[in-house]
Amino acid sequence: MRDPREPAELLTAAADGDRSAWDELEHRFGPRMWAVARACGLGPADAADAVQGAWLRLLQHLHDLRDPARVGGWLATTVRREALLMLRKERLGASSFEIADDPDPAAAVLEADGRRTLWQSVSALHEPCRSLLQLVAIDLGNQQVAARLGLPTGSVGPTKARCLEKLRTLLSLQETAQ
Amino acid sequence: MINDEYFLAALRLSSGNDPIPGQVSAAARDAYRLRVPRAVTAAYAESATIRSVRDDDSSHLVRFVAAGLTFDLEVTEGDGLIDVAGHISPYPGEGALVDVRSPHMTLTRRIGDTGHFVATGLPPGWLSIVCHRPGHAPIQTAWVRIRPCP
Repeated sequence: MRDPREPAELLTAAADGDRSAWDELEHRFGPRMWAVARACGLGPADAADAVQGAWLRLLQHLHDLRDPARVGGWLATTVRREALLMLRKERLGASSFEIADDPDPAAAVLEADGRRTLWQSVSALHEPCRSLLQLVAIDLGNQQVAARLGLPTGSVGPTKARCLEKLRTLLSLQETAQ
Repeated sequence: MINDEYFLAALRLSSGNDPIPGQVSAAARDAYRLRVPRAVTAAYAESATIRSVRDDDSSHLVRFVAAGLTFDLEVTEGDGLIDVAGHISPYPGEGALVDVRSPHMTLTRRIGDTGHFVATGLPPGWLSIVCHRPGHAPIQTAWVRIRPCP
């Protein structure tokens, strides 16, 4: 059975020595951290390092996160920063990391509720955007997407960018309406 | 502004494609044993220059500062392993120990009366130092990632 505790409670419990709370944090947020690292373009070995680095940093900030309820966003942002540092090949520059107390607003789409909304919004898009983004979600390359949708390969990149823009607009409208 | 990379991450996550590998989750859970209760964390000192100290780029200096202590680390890479030569100033006192830690191993060293310590043969990857002083809270450095040159 899933642990019903809120993220902030889990964080406090983990800070006080509750190992099960730490395990639950990993269970809830680990998958999206991996997705962020991979989305940044890291291979499996570097993505594993980026995720591990974010957990190690959380371990050192269990008591002083500014917004414990947003620990999921903090972790996603931290992974992203680690990933970008790795991509810049600043090997020891990784140590210049500062405490990421302010979650990147973009991380919200990786929260569970945000993800649901996102997927519903994709379904609400017209073709070819709906199918294209669903294919992109399963990591098909541009050539395969082109073949599936009957598009010229060269048009997949620009079409994807336009579709993401439409999705962004749709989400903004939904936020405004709320 | 939500950037495309997060959109794509969220889409991939929703699709269940490319799930997190089991060993990555296991390593994250296992990291909990590296928690140091009541420790003060020494931040990377922006004022210090991380620089290569050898022509072949195999050695680097990095500095951390907290609670009045400065950690200067020279990290050398060779044969797929890393060596750490450290200096803590001011001298942290009689009975002080350092743990030189990676997620996979911890080497404990006594600090010489000049404040120096050495640890060799650590696996590449994440590295942190913890200084234990009798009667004080432990001080740990932020984690740094050390990878051999490609």
